[in-house]
Amino acid sequence: VRVVLADDALILREGLSRLLQEAGFQIVGLASDGDELVELVDTGRPDVAIIDIRMPPTHTDEGLRAAQEIRRRWPDVGLLVLSQHVNTRYAMELLSAGTDGVGYLLKERVTDLAELASTVNRIGTGGSVLDTAVVAELVGRRRSGDNPLEELTDRELEVLALMAEGRSNRAIAERLTVTNHTVEKHVKNIFVTLRLPPSTDDHRRVLAVITYLDGR
Amino acid sequence: MRVNHRIALWPIVIAGATAAVGGAWLAAHQPEGRPTEPGLVLELVVGISLFSCGIASWRARPENRIGLVMVLTGFAWFAAELVEARQPWLYTVGLAVQSLWVIGLAYLLLSFPSGRLQGRRDRWLLSGGIGSAIGLQLLAMLYGNGAGVGCSSCVHNLIDVVHENRKAQGWLGLRDLLGVVVLLALVALLTERWRQASAPQRRAVLPVLITGFATVAALIWNVTSDLIGAPLGALPADVWFYTMATVPIAVMIVFLQRRLARGMVAGLVVELGEPSTAMDLRSALARALGDPSLQLAYWFPAEHCYVDGDGVTVAPPGADDRRGSTFVQHNGQPIALLLHDPVLEHNVELVQSVCAAASLALENERLQAELRARLVDLQASRARLVAATDAERRRIERDLHDGTQQRLVSVAMALGLLEARLPDSAGDTRPLIAEARETLTAALQELRDLTHGINPPLLVERGLGAALEELCTRAALPTHLHAELPHRLAEKVESTAYFFISEALTNAAKHSHGSEVRVTAVVSDTMLRIEVTDDGIGGASASGGSGLIGLSDRVEAVAGRMYVHSPPGRGTELHAEIPCA
Repeated sequence: VRVVLADDALILREGLSRLLQEAGFQIVGLASDGDELVELVDTGRPDVAIIDIRMPPTHTDEGLRAAQEIRRRWPDVGLLVLSQHVNTRYAMELLSAGTDGVGYLLKERVTDLAELASTVNRIGTGGSVLDTAVVAELVGRRRSGDNPLEELTDRELEVLALMAEGRSNRAIAERLTVTNHTVEKHVKNIFVTLRLPPSTDDHRRVLAVITYLDGR
Repeated sequence: MRVNHRIALWPIVIAGATAAVGGAWLAAHQPEGRPTEPGLVLELVVGISLFSCGIASWRARPENRIGLVMVLTGFAWFAAELVEARQPWLYTVGLAVQSLWVIGLAYLLLSFPSGRLQGRRDRWLLSGGIGSAIGLQLLAMLYGNGAGVGCSSCVHNLIDVVHENRKAQGWLGLRDLLGVVVLLALVALLTERWRQASAPQRRAVLPVLITGFATVAALIWNVTSDLIGAPLGALPADVWFYTMATVPIAVMIVFLQRRLARGMVAGLVVELGEPSTAMDLRSALARALGDPSLQLAYWFPAEHCYVDGDGVTVAPPGADDRRGSTFVQHNGQPIALLLHDPVLEHNVELVQSVCAAASLALENERLQAELRARLVDLQASRARLVAATDAERRRIERDLHDGTQQRLVSVAMALGLLEARLPDSAGDTRPLIAEARETLTAALQELRDLTHGINPPLLVERGLGAALEELCTRAALPTHLHAELPHRLAEKVESTAYFFISEALTNAAKHSHGSEVRVTAVVSDTMLRIEVTDDGIGGASASGGSGLIGLSDRVEAVAGRMYVHSPPGRGTELHAEIPCA
């Protein structure tokens, strides 16, 4: 899998680049701001672009804008946006244009080599990844009134969160050390309780779940 | 001072009376066949008018030279009567000073009301007048006896040495010509001065100027018709006598009017005594002094300067400034500065008595003005403190983000790499590395919470609305947000509103024992209105040592206001209004 990497902090750019190389990814190029990144994507046509959200010149959400531009011009390039803050709004803005091959993670999540490798691979193959902290915030949002989430069991809530993070049934089963079949049962139950249209596709259902959570 | 002047006046009065009687006697016993131009009575009226009005003005304004000038003009007026004398030396003197009184009139008109000439042009004009009325007159007298009188029965003047009457007539013609030029210049100069004068100045000189102009115009007319024959048609000879008699009266009226103006001081004292708190001291003083342009500034001892009611520093005028100024003191301490029309400087007594009457009120106002200025300073200093705090927040957040957080992440990455490269044989090291990474992750989490509290990124990047949405979804109590924020607001307004609501939500969660909170943030043209309402136990107050006082401080620092409504048992409502125009 070919990867480009954009972060204005040299120390993180180099560190992440070493990790990615160690994990066997091919680094097509390194960028230190949004414009450089867009050029790199244009010339290098990577499978995945890994982007720090806060970059020069304004140090606000340049990474997010660059990601949206890349998605518009080269829809098949996977996007992994990294942030030092849990920012649900930015995550939703990123995912609103479609969840295929899109990820939003806190920076420290990509320090585990195995986790990094699986994340980049999932995004490279059209999957989606949403940070646990963002999902926790979405699920934990307090709104009064009718709340179908309260009808879910604790285990079902766990499965819902893992689905929102973009994990497949098999990954969920592994994580919870239960059988695939049990997970499928939970998923079905969740969709019925939340009155969501049933979806068997691991990729598609992420959108349904987070749209539901965000729209509550 | 005044007493001395009064004593000095008596000899003058006696001398004046003697001169009047002498003049009258001379006029009554004039040689036969003389052209008896003005009647005896008119002569006396003008002279006595000059004398008595001069003395009255002198008493009213002892420091002003105009009273003296009028008295001297009165003497000159009677001295001209000496031409009726039969003794040659008296006749000669009378002839020489025949027109001296016109110089007195010119001086009076030029120097009114201050009694001082106003520059070089005044002096040139007077010099021209003296040259004409005295110089050319004496020259004519050297050549002949006919100078100005030309009668057969007249005695000879003692300085008639050349005996050429025709030349004497020539000098007299030149005298009249120069006289007319000087008088015309006088009219022009006074007209120009009038056009440049302020309203109070015009009011002060108007009566004198009218009578003076009338006299000068009549004089010009007469002298001109003497010079060129009578195509103009001569005025009745005594017209200018009438007008001349009114000039001293006009001067006296103006001076006495000023004394009357001091009656305004009594009115001012009454006004100051009224319990009206909204009294405008400046207007009251302006009325008492008759100068609507009056400016009032108060002494600020700490700053060592004068400051007006709006808090603007006022510099005392320099020597060449067109404004007049008066410094007011109270118990030896400066309290105020009046900037007024320069014409008031000729009426120091009025200004002094007005200031004395108002000094207590002035001191009062001064203290209030000082207080207002201190409040303005204080407000500015609070706003600066808040701005500095906001800037510091951003700096700390940025430093943590760019420094500590990145270094910690990079350490975590290095650990990840190390873990991946560990040989299989080092199996017992792996748990240690995993532990280190978990600790690092926890540290990063804490750091993230800290920086988020210091400076929420959404507030800076997406504005108050987005930041409030996030804040309310993260709040400990279920929170409903109603926001109408169609556009970004000033940074300090947004950050004040954000931290106000954030703190209010924390308070509600900690103290209200309520079950939910409602937050409203609505912006109008000029005001951001915020409400944070809970359904808890109420009874909160901003006066205690609660967190509410901090909220109110924060809002007031940006010139906003906070209200608390918290009846026991019925929840707490916090309202804040922050100007955002």
